[in-house]
Amino acid sequence: MSNDQFKIRLKIAKDKIKSKNNSNKIEKKSSLGAAFKMSTELVSAVAVGTIIGFILDNWFGTKPWLILIFFFVGVIAGIMNVIKSAKKMQK
Amino acid sequence: MAANPMHQFNVYRIGPEIKLGEIDISFTNASLFMVISSIAILIIFNVGSKKNSLIPDKIQLLAELSYSFISKMISDTAGSKAKPYFSFIFSLFMFVLFCNMFGMIPYSFTVTSHIIVTFVLAAFIFLGVTVIGFIKHGLGYLKLFVPSGVPMVLLPLIVVIEIISYLSRPISLSVRLFANMMAGHTMMKVFGGFVVSLGIIGGWLPLSFSVALTGLEILVAFLQAYVFAILTCIYLNDALNLHH
Repeated sequence: MSNDQFKIRLKIAKDKIKSKNNSNKIEKKSSLGAAFKMSTELVSAVAVGTIIGFILDNWFGTKPWLILIFFFVGVIAGIMNVIKSAKKMQK
Repeated sequence: MAANPMHQFNVYRIGPEIKLGEIDISFTNASLFMVISSIAILIIFNVGSKKNSLIPDKIQLLAELSYSFISKMISDTAGSKAKPYFSFIFSLFMFVLFCNMFGMIPYSFTVTSHIIVTFVLAAFIFLGVTVIGFIKHGLGYLKLFVPSGVPMVLLPLIVVIEIISYLSRPISLSVRLFANMMAGHTMMKVFGGFVVSLGIIGGWLPLSFSVALTGLEILVAFLQAYVFAILTCIYLNDALNLHH
């Protein structure tokens, strides 16, 4: 391989790295992995919201109001999680 | 009972009972398989990185391929700032992958099919990423919970929602790996039980299902290790490059 050829190839490789660092986007995963990710994200936020509501209820003795409120806040958080990761995938 | 599909997940003690105060820290079959996978990783990567020949043999190729695979994954998802954390993510991916793959060998034990194992891994990642975020950005890391362009009226609600979605990360990370491994192994055992109970005449259909499921499970074992590692990279990316 001559020296010029090598220089051209080095430039192409460097450009590739540069464009990758600039866009900094998430590589498209296989769709199966994405499906697993979405489903657990939706469920886990609901679970965390409910647990927080349960703990706060025990602290303040306001059964069952906070658990109800935080359950629905958890549902909203779960839906927002899914929307966020779907947007990330589309980029 | 051997036909019980959940029997494979039993944890039992191997060797003498060791107690540290009230806590039972005896060596179990779960610890045995964790040790086996760690030793297998150490052997493969030590042998693979020893020779450094220009034309690699199979083990060296394996080590080099997995190195470049993880390195590319980190630079794609978390950028060049995440390079110092390469060794952690590499060990994490390899450990989960080897535990999953050793679980595919008949009569072995799948460490990652227990929620406590995956949850400890995920909680460790969660704490580490949070600490890194606070070190890099100070109290400015809390801006993660306050998205820009939200009206003041909605702000308290949004902050609560963001905190819940942040706290849900370790749970979704651990439950995903645990549920996939446990469901897959239970399903394989159930179909295996069908083969025995239907006998020589009716057993062929579940047998073919079992073969297909084994292939699917090997795919899932790899994919879940990959998803676990890539999500760690994404969380690390949030901590290193604050967007909001």
